Amino acid sequence: MAQAALKDTSVEEFETRQQWWWAAEKKRSGRLDYLRKAIWKKGAIGGLYAPGVKVDLERAQLQTRKARELEFSNDAYVIKFARMIAHILDNKTIFITDHAQLAGYTASLPHTIGWDPSCASILNVEVYNDPTAIPEPADESQKIIQEVNAYWGGKTDLDRMMPVFDMEDLMKMLSGSIGWGVPLARGGYSSKDYEYIMTGKRAFQDIIDELDRKIDEGDEMTHAPGATPETTDMYDKLNNWEAMKITLEAGIRIARRYARLARIIAENFEEDPVRREELLKIAETCERVPAHPPRNLQESFQYDIFIQMMSRTEAIEGAWPSRPDFYHGPYYDKDVNIDHTLTKEEALDLVGEFLIRAAEVCQFKPKWTREGLQGIDGTWVWTIGGVDAHGNDACNDLTIALMQAARLVRVANPTLSFRWHPKVKDEVLREIFECNRQGLGYPNMRNDPVLIANTMHWYGHPIEEARLWANQACLSPCPTTKHGYQPMRMANATANCAKIIEYVLTGGYDKVVNMQVGAETGDVTRFKNFEEFFDAWTMQMKTIFSILVRAVNRARTLAPRLTPRPFLSGISERSIESGMDTFEPSLERGNAWITAFTWVENIDSLAAVKKLVFEEKKYTMAQLKEALDANWEGFEQMRLDFVRNAPKWGNDDDYVDDIMIRCLREAAKFSRELKCPSGNSWPILPENVSGNIHYANIVGALPNGRRLGDALYDGGISPGPGLDKKGPTAVLKSCSKIDHITDGRAFLLNQRLSPTQLAGEKGYQLWKAYIRTWADLGIDHIQFNMIDDATLRAAQKEPEQYQEVIVRVAGYSAHFVDISRKTQDNIIQRTIHGLG
Amino acid sequence: MATCKECKSYFPLEENPDKGDCVRRVVDPRQEYYQSKPVNASDDAVKCASFAKK
Ligand code: SF4
Repeated sequence: MAQAALKDTSVEEFETRQQWWWAAEKKRSGRLDYLRKAIWKKGAIGGLYAPGVKVDLERAQLQTRKARELEFSNDAYVIKFARMIAHILDNKTIFITDHAQLAGYTASLPHTIGWDPSCASILNVEVYNDPTAIPEPADESQKIIQEVNAYWGGKTDLDRMMPVFDMEDLMKMLSGSIGWGVPLARGGYSSKDYEYIMTGKRAFQDIIDELDRKIDEGDEMTHAPGATPETTDMYDKLNNWEAMKITLEAGIRIARRYARLARIIAENFEEDPVRREELLKIAETCERVPAHPPRNLQESFQYDIFIQMMSRTEAIEGAWPSRPDFYHGPYYDKDVNIDHTLTKEEALDLVGEFLIRAAEVCQFKPKWTREGLQGIDGTWVWTIGGVDAHGNDACNDLTIALMQAARLVRVANPTLSFRWHPKVKDEVLREIFECNRQGLGYPNMRNDPVLIANTMHWYGHPIEEARLWANQACLSPCPTTKHGYQPMRMANATANCAKIIEYVLTGGYDKVVNMQVGAETGDVTRFKNFEEFFDAWTMQMKTIFSILVRAVNRARTLAPRLTPRPFLSGISERSIESGMDTFEPSLERGNAWITAFTWVENIDSLAAVKKLVFEEKKYTMAQLKEALDANWEGFEQMRLDFVRNAPKWGNDDDYVDDIMIRCLREAAKFSRELKCPSGNSWPILPENVSGNIHYANIVGALPNGRRLGDALYDGGISPGPGLDKKGPTAVLKSCSKIDHITDGRAFLLNQRLSPTQLAGEKGYQLWKAYIRTWADLGIDHIQFNMIDDATLRAAQKEPEQYQEVIVRVAGYSAHFVDISRKTQDNIIQRTIHGLG
Repeated sequence: MATCKECKSYFPLEENPDKGDCVRRVVDPRQEYYQSKPVNASDDAVKCASFAKK
């Protein structure tokens, strides 16, 4: 919008027109406005990085140089790797943005994307071939990339893991038809032991002192008279402790580099005395943390940013498990309410900047990941609200400030995820409603009592730990405790479940990738009844899940030795105590899950086959197979019959809802037979990110009437777009037939609500009553889009005018203009429900 | 031969003046910031387009 028009229009006018993004721009402080506009948008658009965003070659060169230098060293791999991380942190370019009060970024410069060349050669090849993100001059950059890639060929984590995988499983996974991602321990979603590191009881220097004690004791033990298996194990432990220490010390050093930079600017360049003071405060902050525990809100946020930056130097993290109000809230309270060292407005600036710092984080990811995560780099789903270890309401003033700041800075990543429980106060609920009404698509709502019970049911986490959960990725609760936290969940345990039903029809042969991927369940036309058909479905489900889980289990078992994480271990109580790498499965209870993309297609397809083929016998299986083989071409009337005249999930219709329950219970039963290396279960979690679009050309025609190329349903247990004809309560009733504790890990539910109907106090009361119904029905998740069709269609026509419109895609939000046309249309097609 | 030590952007470390930081102001299309990169006092500045004599 032209600056003049923006100036002439009042906040109230913008709000009346529901143009929340312009209202936010006028309402936020000058600092937040500058910092918000300073963000380089890193989320890929159509799988490509935005113009101006470039791969960071510096880190790749630093790491490669150090790796070469260490090649002939006698050190254990874990120590060499720790030295590489330290070398990067000691030598990377750092920066402090004007007006900023917080510092620290994964890559070297604001417009760059971190590239870790040691993870996978297939990723390195993508960097080399990237059409938009190679820095100028391209020739020079290509040469650097070539040299880096030549060094790492055969030496990356994945290259070293390849020989230990089952080749057949690996080929099926890499075909891209049934899974998403590769089984890499240094690439996925990493939860953390926040109870150890974020409670103010200790920080890096305290841990280093503890490590010194451990190393001295261990050293003494290995040199005392005697030799036992414990002595042998101690050598590995000593290496692990040493590696942890190397990374923690490097963490303190890089923070001090930021402190020094802030002082140099203050003392040599800055003329504004106010800014000079701010820079000196940054210096003081970075001298304090992460070496020592934070003393105030700024130090607490800065500490968190450093931990995330270091963790992302060590691994490619696709998620950001966090509970910011719980761990930073006490500092907010101290500064704002007790010591009065910060006004609410000043605190809001810090909170808004904290969101912005997270929004700019990006690491280079393969194209398939970018396509599945349109508009964002990863799922930074921050968990707020909930209860403490004793079951008391954990909401605090920072819970509210985070939501207020989110409305001001309007970033699509991180998003907030609210743990609802019966003791949540009205003032907090109003903030949640306001964020959603203003079109952020977040916070989503999580049913805390249900999810705590679920977390205990599936993994046996004790209640005090289960209560301390944060989303490990989009939706999966994970305790942030010593034995509860899962250090890495690998993205490839993500099943493209529409293939289950597709393979029933094809006997497991995948016609899109031309290979036998599923089980050989035989000629579908010979099935005599629905039970035989369903048995084949069960077999295909088990086969697909097993392929994915076997690979993750293998990678996870070998991870402590082949792909360790000394920094993450260094901030984990269990590793400090035991001397074992954080990936060591015996140290944790397990918190594994299979993400079930494209799940509901199975249910609607099974219902259609049951009704139209086996019960009404309107079509033979041979006819159905012929129609599907032809991608429904030439069978349009028949296709419409399968769309319109077969029951669809989400309408409170027991015929199809019973099939949903049966499928989930088969999967849940099998989840208990599958075991993670910690000996725990693998429950399923239906949700989609943008998988419904990514898989559109990979999933063949299905009996629910879908054709190859059509977008799949938007996921989780959300009904197909436009197929939920009986209103929002019927959707909730269908969903409530699922046992959200024992039938799976969590279940994503998208709902579109009318922003007009939800205006004012009446709107809030309607929404609140709806949430109460949702909670009483025991449903674990719900999220909302409250932007009307007219705005979304206008944004399609004039994207430059609607740059800041945010929508809920699946487990995350994105700016509407950053997602593909197909995803945009898919969101518009979702039924808008009226409440009441 | 010009070295980093002679450059305006060079800020030596107190504890070891042979090492220091190259601190420069950058204006990119979205934001303005100061960047810092470790350098040695003796690093060759001849090829550095940003060299500015103290
Ligand atoms: S690298 Fe260039 S700009 Fe920096 S200190 Fe050396 S000569 Fe100066």
